[in-house]
Amino acid sequence: MGLHISNAPFIYNKDTTRSLMLDVILALLPTTLAGIFFFGLGALLHVLVGTASAMLAEYAYQKLTHKPVRIRDCSAALTGMLLALNMPVSAPLWVTLIGSAVAIVLVKELFGGIGDNFMNPALTARAILMASWPVAMTAYTQPVFSLGLQADAVSSATVLHGLSATPLQMFLGFIPGTIGEVSKAAILIGFLYLLLKGVITWHIPVIYVGSYALLALALGNNVLNGVLSGGMLFGAVFMATDYVTNPMTRRGQVIFAVGCGVFTCLIRNFSSYPEGVTFAILLMNIATPLIDKYVKGARVYGKGKK
Amino acid sequence: MRGGVHPLDGARGGKTSTSSSPIRPYVAKSVQIPMCQAIGAPSVPIVQAGDQVKLGQKIGEAAGFMSLPAHASVSGRVVSVEQRMLMLGNPILTVTIENDGRDDWAELTPLGKDVESVNAASIIPAIKEAGICGMGGATFPTHVKLTIPEGKSCDSIIVNGAECETHVTADHRLMLEEPARIVNGLRLAMKALGVKYGIIGIEDNKKDAIETMKAAIAGIEGLHVMPLYTKYPQGGERQLIHAVTGYEVPVHGLPIDIGVVVLNVGTAAAIADAVLLGKPLIERVTTVTGCVKEPANLRLRIGTSASEAVEACGGYKEEPYTLLMGGAMTGICMPDDKPPIGKGTNCLLALTEAESKTPAEQPCIRCGRCVDVCPAGLKPFLLKHFCDKGDLAGAQANDVTECIVCGCCSYICPARLALTASFKNTKDAIARQARRAK
Amino acid sequence: MEKKQSLSGVFMNGVITENPTFRLVLGTCPTIAVTTNAVNGIGMGLAATFVLVGSNLVISLLRNFIPDKVRIPAFVVVICTFVTMVQMLLQAYVPVLYESLGLFIPLIVVNCIILARAEAFASKNAPLASVMDGLGMGLGFTAAITIIGCIRELFGSGSLFGLNIMGAGYQPMLILVLAPGGFIVFGMVLGIANIIMKRADAKKAAKEGAQA
Repeated sequence: MGLHISNAPFIYNKDTTRSLMLDVILALLPTTLAGIFFFGLGALLHVLVGTASAMLAEYAYQKLTHKPVRIRDCSAALTGMLLALNMPVSAPLWVTLIGSAVAIVLVKELFGGIGDNFMNPALTARAILMASWPVAMTAYTQPVFSLGLQADAVSSATVLHGLSATPLQMFLGFIPGTIGEVSKAAILIGFLYLLLKGVITWHIPVIYVGSYALLALALGNNVLNGVLSGGMLFGAVFMATDYVTNPMTRRGQVIFAVGCGVFTCLIRNFSSYPEGVTFAILLMNIATPLIDKYVKGARVYGKGKK
Repeated sequence: MRGGVHPLDGARGGKTSTSSSPIRPYVAKSVQIPMCQAIGAPSVPIVQAGDQVKLGQKIGEAAGFMSLPAHASVSGRVVSVEQRMLMLGNPILTVTIENDGRDDWAELTPLGKDVESVNAASIIPAIKEAGICGMGGATFPTHVKLTIPEGKSCDSIIVNGAECETHVTADHRLMLEEPARIVNGLRLAMKALGVKYGIIGIEDNKKDAIETMKAAIAGIEGLHVMPLYTKYPQGGERQLIHAVTGYEVPVHGLPIDIGVVVLNVGTAAAIADAVLLGKPLIERVTTVTGCVKEPANLRLRIGTSASEAVEACGGYKEEPYTLLMGGAMTGICMPDDKPPIGKGTNCLLALTEAESKTPAEQPCIRCGRCVDVCPAGLKPFLLKHFCDKGDLAGAQANDVTECIVCGCCSYICPARLALTASFKNTKDAIARQARRAK
Repeated sequence: MEKKQSLSGVFMNGVITENPTFRLVLGTCPTIAVTTNAVNGIGMGLAATFVLVGSNLVISLLRNFIPDKVRIPAFVVVICTFVTMVQMLLQAYVPVLYESLGLFIPLIVVNCIILARAEAFASKNAPLASVMDGLGMGLGFTAAITIIGCIRELFGSGSLFGLNIMGAGYQPMLILVLAPGGFIVFGMVLGIANIIMKRADAKKAAKEGAQA
């Protein structure tokens, strides 16, 4: 009888990297469907192109550099999907394609692959695309409700640009915006799913939105508009909660979330950008190693207290 | 307790396959009794091959204070006294005895009929003579634990009935079936130390055990049963103390530093036998489970080989991939099924390949779950960097020595990093380094 | 050791082995700031080369007269002279380039390549070798920033040396002509150059190993 020797423990929690990534992808489905509902099949095309090109880019890079191919962990698919949901539907598909490749190769793999990237790949790619093709990236269209592949929709200012919409319209998604961000209802369904599955905790999204709301209130902004329009909820639920780029300790995560909220509000109020979610989260991504360094985790058992 | 995990949630079962199976005695055909059964100096054999020994007869003399005597756990003929490779590591001087089936007891000298009639000063020597050590797995000599160092005092004794490990139900069954032994043992230990409070901590997934123990302590002053939240590793000594008293054992300190002594339920029962019946520790309850045909709680003689214990449960159901002493979170792999049951073996767990194959490590995704579940408040993800590099100083600076090797971080890690194993190796390396420096 | 090098060795050392941009990673400020197109890259590179050759020559000639304690101010004075000459020449003959390089021409004074070569080479070597070193380093710098300039111009504005290459339908990736694009391209080119040089070194080492 050949018995094997290994180290304890011998049983494991069922969650793996792959299952966690798949859970997030699943949580993105409601908002993806909402995007397709509002913007037509063009939205679906964006998602497909984004996901496929991200996976392809990861496969190609890892083959080329003789690294183990890890596309089975689905993190590349998730990155591609997140990026696509951050695109306005009228943007050309090749922009999504380049964005996915940039996210995977430039932001993730060049820094060491999964777990070692210091900024959220999808969000960084979005920032790069915004700087590269600002016109295509900010041509937010009105919802079209057609199944046409080409959204022949009218570009429109967003609510943050001064368009007016009722809170219900904003909550359900009847406003211009990127594919994934418009329907707050769908995002909240995804958020609940992630909470129930224990993939994320409530801390970062709730504190992010909360600290934004407080500061916005103090500055006299329309808080409801600020939260319900734009990419705030999408960013808080799906971007700021990216494991790799937020702090490891609960206390650090609170600081991170407050920072996100404050920066979002400051950028929206005092810069030339109408939207601040992307840069706020990226800024806090960069601050994460610093937070992890200086914020002590839980007290070591038996130290300090008697 | 902070942190912790729920390793038995879900369909995996674990405890359910044996929690309702009553303790069944099984007498081994032959036993191998290592002279090194507890932490401390090995005992010196006083029998030779060919000798006839009686049940409970002393066959090894203790070598100093931090050492225990050994006793024959069957009556019969000594087959051999030789060095043997049992578990991994060094060969151990082992006495093998063939059972003649008569169970002739050696002469027993009880200290008294009940707790009241026993002389307090003679309890601790009797515990040592009976060869009792921590039966939850640590095998620390109990008389040493009960000898309070000068300048310290003990105000309460906690009996550990948490049994948080997966699969193990030995303590659970013992509490259900023989609560009087446990209560007597606790009262004797309290009497020996002059302690007023005795608390029995039990995880609240064992409602029946809580009820039984409550009934057993009814009317006895100073005794309490405390239900504990069910979460692994609630039964870790330090975690249990925190849960019961609200105090933490200081770093590098011992429970006695905050006036607490913790005994396993099995240890308490053994104390009662030693003092009230004069019986040395020759048998214990062990859960034999996993991929065996009839998982059961067996009362086994110390020294019964694992293969015989498994045979007593109908043999293997499937080819085992690993055979563990202990539960699935902290168990130790056996090189084959020859080694004997020791005083601290609460469980024999046979796992199939599908259940226990070590998964491949993937890159850390910094999810922070290891930080959330660490009951010692460490940052396992950070520690692993130091441990993998072999940076002992860095690992020590990040408190690797406070790791209790509970396995929670490895259990929860979605990238399946072998965190616990790397901390254990590092702790061992630090201990070796300290020994060399001495 | 450097004294034993042949003049061509000194030259090639500057262009390849110790390429200031890819190997020494000096002068990154102009590397990122002015390489928005290929012409700027060449212009900046040649201007720096001129200053480098001139200052190396003069410092080498004066190396035995400059007191050690005040050598840095002395070097800076020499460098300033040549930078002022370059600035005036550019302003006179290529005003367009002068406009687009702008502030970065006077900043050549504090370009660390020039000061570093003055300190590390010219102040210890003969004039001719110093000139060759200045030429090699300067051309190595020029080549490096021209490559970066080409890449940024090609993808960032769809042209090369001002000629439209990518066609009218091409939508340039604007970020490449912005500062972040400078960092990204510089980093990637640096990485690729290091891969190539490492391979070359490994080949050379293998050859030498075989000979031994």
